[in-house]
Amino acid sequence: MEILVTIVIVVIIMAIAVWLFIAKQGDADFEFKVNERTEFIVVDQTEKTATFSCKVAFINKGSQDGTIMDAYPRHLLPYEQFDGVEVTSRMELTTAPRTDNYFEAVIIPKGTGGSVIVTVTFTAKTGTIRDALQNLYDLSVDMPIDIVYQIVARTPWYIHKARMIMTCDEINRAMQAKDTAKWEG
Amino acid sequence: MAELELKPVGTRILTDKDNIVDMIEKYTKGDIGPDDVVSVAESVVAITQGRVARPEDFKVCFLAKILCRFVPQKGSLSSVYGMQSLMDAEGKWRVLFAMIIGMFAKIVGKNGVFYELAGSHAALVDDVTGTMPPFDKCLVYGPLEANNVAEEIKRRLGCYGAAVADVNDLKRALVVGASTGLDPKKLAHILIDNPFGNASQRTPIVIIKNYAAVERRTENLLTVE
Repeated sequence: MEILVTIVIVVIIMAIAVWLFIAKQGDADFEFKVNERTEFIVVDQTEKTATFSCKVAFINKGSQDGTIMDAYPRHLLPYEQFDGVEVTSRMELTTAPRTDNYFEAVIIPKGTGGSVIVTVTFTAKTGTIRDALQNLYDLSVDMPIDIVYQIVARTPWYIHKARMIMTCDEINRAMQAKDTAKWEG
Repeated sequence: MAELELKPVGTRILTDKDNIVDMIEKYTKGDIGPDDVVSVAESVVAITQGRVARPEDFKVCFLAKILCRFVPQKGSLSSVYGMQSLMDAEGKWRVLFAMIIGMFAKIVGKNGVFYELAGSHAALVDDVTGTMPPFDKCLVYGPLEANNVAEEIKRRLGCYGAAVADVNDLKRALVVGASTGLDPKKLAHILIDNPFGNASQRTPIVIIKNYAAVERRTENLLTVE
C-alpha cells in the first residue's frame, strides 16, 4: 500500500512539474498591428482600374518561435452595399515580394516581426474607375479587410483574423494625392 | 589530371507525379560519366514518393503535445506535428522511451541519444517551411528505401555510384542511402558545404564528377607509399 501511494505521489509531482515547465515555456503569440498600418496609396491606375497598397506590421510577442503558415487578405464589399466595382486583394511579405498571391510559410523568431504589403485592386464594372470610386465616396462606403493568418507553433495550428477598414475617405485622399502627384510631375 | 568537381543540376519542381530516377535521367542527360557519383536531396526523393503530409491532416495525440515541448525550438520535432509525424512513423511508445532515455543521457552529458533511439525518421522529418513552395506548408518525411533508390539511379545512368543525402547550410551532411561500394561518411564530407544550395535554387541533384578517378589515384598513391 505504501509503495502504491508513493508511486501515485511521484506521478502527481511529475505531472505538476511538466505542467509548470510547459506553462513557463509559453508559446508564440502573433499580432498584426492593423491600427498602426500605413495609409493606402495608389500604386497603379488605368481608366478601368485603381490599385492601392499599404503596409501592416506584425510581431511575434510570445516566448517561442512561431510559423505563419499562410496569410491572406479577405476584403468584404458585398454588392448589396456597393455594386460599382470588382475587388481583388493580395498580400505579400515586405522582405519576400511576389505577385502570385501565394504566401510562403515563414518562421518568425520570438520577439521579432516584420511587415506585409496589402494590395487592393478595384475594377470598374461600368464607366471609369474614377467615377466608380467617386460614387463609392458619395455613398460613404467603407470596406473592411480581414487579414487572415494561420499559425503553427508549439500548440496545434489555429487561424486568426485581424480587421482593418479601408475607408472611402482614405480612398478619396489617395486618388487626390495621385492626381496632385501627376500634375506636379 | 581529373579533379573532384561538384556540379549542381537544376530541375523544375518535382512532385509525387514524378519518378525520381526518370527525372534525374532527364535533367542530367549527357552530363554523367562512368567515374561520376550522382547525389540527390532526400527531401525531394521523399516528395516524389508522396511522403508529405499537411498539419491539418494529422490527428495529434496528447503525448505529442507534451513531448514536443522538450525539443529545442529550432528542431523539426519541436512542433506538435513534427512530433506526431515521428510517432506515426516510429510508434509513440518508442518515441516516449527514446525521450526518457535521451533526457537521462543528457543529464550525464551525452547528447543525441534521443535521435539514436527514436528511429531513422527522427533526424529526417522536415517541419513546415523546411522545403520550398508548394511544399512549404507540409511536413516531409524521410524517403523510403533510399539504398534501393540509389542502386536504381546507378543502374539506369551507368555511373560509378549514387547517393541520397540530407544536407543543410549548418554544415550538417548525412547520406541516408547509397549504392554498394560507396563510403557514406566520405560522401557526406564531400557534400558538407551544401552544393544543393537552398530550396529556392531548385538544384536537388549534384553530380560529383570524377569521384572514381580521384579515388583510384588516392589508392595508387597509398600503395606506392
